[in-house]
Amino acid sequence: MRHFLLSEKMFKFVYMKMKDFKKIKSPVVRIDNSLERYKGKIISQEKLDKANDMLKTVGLPKAGK
Amino acid sequence: MRLERYELKAEASLTIFEFVSEGPNGKIRKVVQFEETNFKGVYNLAFGDVDPTTEKINDSVISNNKDSEKVLATVVSAIYAFTGRYPGVWIYAAGSTKSRTRLYRMGLTKFLAEITEDFYLYGQRNVNWIFFEKGVEYEAFLAKRKNV
Repeated sequence: MRHFLLSEKMFKFVYMKMKDFKKIKSPVVRIDNSLERYKGKIISQEKLDKANDMLKTVGLPKAGK
Repeated sequence: MRLERYELKAEASLTIFEFVSEGPNGKIRKVVQFEETNFKGVYNLAFGDVDPTTEKINDSVISNNKDSEKVLATVVSAIYAFTGRYPGVWIYAAGSTKSRTRLYRMGLTKFLAEITEDFYLYGQRNVNWIFFEKGVEYEAFLAKRKNV
């Protein structure tokens, strides 16, 4: 019985940790349609061009390798 | 990541995020934007402060609001939200200057264990992508979320 209670406590602890972790990785984001005003606007064209040039030259790695 | 973060707002497609940094220099609106590159499924991470008078986003300003860790954690949250909505995409990031890229590297180094639990993280050296390692300088970074 004692062993069972301990296991239950452990289970609750792990469950809470998992719940907490999930919360961290699933951030709450409030939808605000006024941000549509930034759509299509490039923050820095120079940086985006540089990224495109670099990706053209270097390509992409194979994920996980 | 057990860090304080700012409240995030986004438009419906979750490609543009905004939050407000609060510190000794006041409240500063910041925007995180995932910009499409010429390569399908690869997005450039753009980040900057909103100029309150012109409403333009400036990615080279140093706001010095003494909250860089909280800001970084908020940007990481935006990456989680974006890659949660669009699994399989690549995120490319480079600072506007060498020193800013170094700042990004320091931030990534600080949370490397947490980040690599969920993302493949690479650094660019010369013309190669290599797995991100502590203590190595990179010109840019690339991340892809592991299975969501």
